[in-house]
Amino acid sequence: MTDSILFFFEVLVGGLLSGTMYSLVALGFVLIYKASSTFNFAQGAMVFFAVLSFCGFMEYGMPFGVAFFAVVLLMILVGLLTERLVLRPLMNQSEDTVLMATIGLGFVLEGLAQAKWGVEVRKLSLGIGDFPIPWIADNLKLFISALDLTAGLVAFVMILLLTLLFKYTKIGLGLRAVADDPGAASSIGIPLKHIMLLVWSAAGVVALVAGMMWGARAGVQFALIELALKALPVLIIGGFSSIPGAIVGGLLVGAVEKVLEVYIGPYFKGGIEAWAPYMLSILFLLYRPEGLFGEKIIRRV
Amino acid sequence: MGKDSTNILEVKNIEVVYDNVILALHNVSLTVPRGKIVALLGANGAGKSTTLKSISTMLASERGKVTKGSIDYEGNAVKDQTPSEMVKLGMVQVLEGRRCFGHLTVEENIIAGAYSRKLSRGDLNQELEKIYSYFKRLKERRKSQAGYTSGGEQQMVAVARAMMTKPKMLLLDEPSMGLAPQLVAEIFNIVKMLNEKEGVSILLAEQNTNIALKNSDYGYILETGKIMLEGSAKNLLGNDKVKELYLGISKGKRLNFRDAIKDNENKNK
Repeated sequence: MTDSILFFFEVLVGGLLSGTMYSLVALGFVLIYKASSTFNFAQGAMVFFAVLSFCGFMEYGMPFGVAFFAVVLLMILVGLLTERLVLRPLMNQSEDTVLMATIGLGFVLEGLAQAKWGVEVRKLSLGIGDFPIPWIADNLKLFISALDLTAGLVAFVMILLLTLLFKYTKIGLGLRAVADDPGAASSIGIPLKHIMLLVWSAAGVVALVAGMMWGARAGVQFALIELALKALPVLIIGGFSSIPGAIVGGLLVGAVEKVLEVYIGPYFKGGIEAWAPYMLSILFLLYRPEGLFGEKIIRRV
Repeated sequence: MGKDSTNILEVKNIEVVYDNVILALHNVSLTVPRGKIVALLGANGAGKSTTLKSISTMLASERGKVTKGSIDYEGNAVKDQTPSEMVKLGMVQVLEGRRCFGHLTVEENIIAGAYSRKLSRGDLNQELEKIYSYFKRLKERRKSQAGYTSGGEQQMVAVARAMMTKPKMLLLDEPSMGLAPQLVAEIFNIVKMLNEKEGVSILLAEQNTNIALKNSDYGYILETGKIMLEGSAKNLLGNDKVKELYLGISKGKRLNFRDAIKDNENKNK
């Protein structure tokens, strides 16, 4: 009896922790959604581009820290170019236009990354194994992957930093103002281009971190782009514009898909985790379209 | 023209076209003397907002363009500046329809107005207190989410937020829109106080001709993109045509504006 409860907890914790990986990817989407009210289809490509470049720099013999810093700079450059070449010319166009542009941007980033670094799957070692932590396994009888736990911690730190940035800094206030009403924000002198640059750079850095975590587990490969789309149900459940929402949504998707896979999966001959999150998100679309933490649309009557 | 000139703003014969085809303003000229309140009056669609937006350079974001004429603000030609550059030069527009940041608190809204200024925490608090001394109601509601405050409070937030940029010139677009008469009066009182105590020059677009003229020094009346009439606020308030068409005080038969002008021309012949 206790064994089965223990097993349930193991599945649950494993699911929650792998959910933090979804949260990390979703975080990048939220940042951009907040500033441009657009779902950034290029986010997956940014994850791929960032982590592939990281591997490439490491192959050039850069130490870990230097390569990380170099990719951070590279992602800021990508943010800068995106603002200048894509967003600025499309300013004042409808959100759909920007949405389509992000799809194009995704292709460009994918192509650039593969043209420069090739198409083979790379292994990325962060020095953290994807195996159960012995201490927890011995004492609590739970098998929890060290990589999952690290990803959880990293996600937690990123969220904390971003929340503090938005809540308590001047640029964070500017960003929230732009998220609410870009026209009014620009009328009182908040320069939209600075905010866009900040947001895209931050999303780039988040993409790098997410990519490193995913890459360490699944290998640095093209499939990362598809994986990033798992963020879609996460965002629908958590709310597109909410950082806590990205976290809770990610955890929920991770936990639900693992638990369902283990307990109900056999009746469907497995493979439930591939679609269960989407089913869950359809329920949310029907009954709570703004998500758990999404900003309610305030409308005075 | 130097900075010491008596007019803070001079608009000369501007023509504005939207989307390269729609002519919105035709040959509009107006001046705002330093430290005065000037009213820009007219019905819906007359071109009041367009005029204000072409001055604040917000027009570009609506695919509008000033195709003829010139705008001079403080001796600078207003042309390719961005709205945030205009704010740094001391000109700010309060957009029509309040446009508060609904998810921010009232206080955050007001602080956002200081974005372009480099203020220390202490200076910022001092500025906030000054703003609250004009907008006493907002101090009570400082922690409320702006989206849930009343229409009048939101209009005050919008004006307070603009005042936080420390403007020399304030462009107000229909502050009375959708508000109860008592609140309109309250807001106009504050605007008048800001003009007198802070020395800010104001260009005010309004449909509410009566209250606008009572609170301004000079007025222009726009109709379908042209200035039809101008004069001191006092003269306009006493003007028969204005009375008839904009103040609803009718003598005898009802006229529309064009007929009134035509009548007037016929009399002068």
